[in-house]
Amino acid sequence: MEEFFEQARKILAEQLGMDPELITWDTTFEEVDADSIDIVEMLMALEDIYDVEFPEDNLEDYKTMGSLIKALYQVIGGR
Amino acid sequence: MRIAVDAMGGDHAPHEIVKGCVRAAGLLSDIELIMVGDQEVLEDELQRCSWSGEGIRIHHAGQVIEMNEHPALALRKKKDSSIMVSTMLVKTGQAEAVVSCGNTGAQMAAALFAWGCFDGIDRPAIGTLIPRYNGHTVMLDVGANVDVKAEQLVQFALMGQAYAQAALGVENPRVGLLSNGEEETKGNQVTLSAYARLKDLTGLNFAGNVEGRDLFSGRADVVVCDGFFGNTIIKVMEGLMGEIHKRLQDAGIDSRQLLQDFDHTRIGGAPLLGVKGVSVVCHGSSQAEAVYNGIAQAVRCVNHDMVASLNHSLAVVR
Repeated sequence: MEEFFEQARKILAEQLGMDPELITWDTTFEEVDADSIDIVEMLMALEDIYDVEFPEDNLEDYKTMGSLIKALYQVIGGR
Repeated sequence: MRIAVDAMGGDHAPHEIVKGCVRAAGLLSDIELIMVGDQEVLEDELQRCSWSGEGIRIHHAGQVIEMNEHPALALRKKKDSSIMVSTMLVKTGQAEAVVSCGNTGAQMAAALFAWGCFDGIDRPAIGTLIPRYNGHTVMLDVGANVDVKAEQLVQFALMGQAYAQAALGVENPRVGLLSNGEEETKGNQVTLSAYARLKDLTGLNFAGNVEGRDLFSGRADVVVCDGFFGNTIIKVMEGLMGEIHKRLQDAGIDSRQLLQDFDHTRIGGAPLLGVKGVSVVCHGSSQAEAVYNGIAQAVRCVNHDMVASLNHSLAVVR
């Protein structure tokens, strides 16, 4: 899961123009000014990398990077 | 030329959208309109509008993104929405442009996800031409991005410069940053930060801060602001023009011709700038005449090769 998290935060950091190290498991999307478009763009990039389609349900419920990444990681089945 | 029209988006959809399409199909030459939405509903509407049978076909899309939905998340859930399907028709080469009166955020996000932005541009902005006494002022953003970062305002300045070159033929447009005073020290934090970056930017004819009245003074050819202020300003203008019209009418003066340049119905729509395709954003309250003019606006953008011109102008300053 660490590698998956690394990929995700690298993508998000690049989109937001910030240092990936500043994004931790507990970072909220609000803290880094990531809006829903940033989050969806990150999901789309991860879908391309892992060749998977994440479910559309309740994306708005995930407030932290860690909670979203844990949920997505279940979809890719621990690959 | 094929134009995809999101027939389900807008306060008066689908009836007024279909009426506008029927009008455009009858008046604009060499176009085919692809109305995107519920096949059965749109067929019924076409019958109600006395369609001649020429220039329009329907492309079915089973979902609609409502005005109150969260744009990016709604697009993920509704891949068969009329705005997403319309945008994909351009991506797959089945249409040259999209016109929508629906959820602006969803229209912007669809273009961003499906087509992407030019290098160096994070988010598209809506650019409109504000009529002034002896010409026009480009204003952006008028509604795509409610919250922006300073870097995005810098990108809007570059896009506005490119749009003024392409749409107005101004070789070296003066670009102003909308603020609450002309001095460098005026503005909120985002504006102050954007000012600091813009004044040192090479390849941009930065005119400094401008005020709301400068939309009409000619001090700048381009006025840059975030989508919250931009949208508020154009809605104030619409209201003010309505008020002036009523007062002149009361005084026995026919002001329709005088004020027609400011009539959003006649303007129709404004293009999303920065994305790799033509997407014309129309007022949510558009009725048939505005829809027709929005389609005409899309035709002009395609005919003038706006996207390529913009990319070319942006490449020069990159």
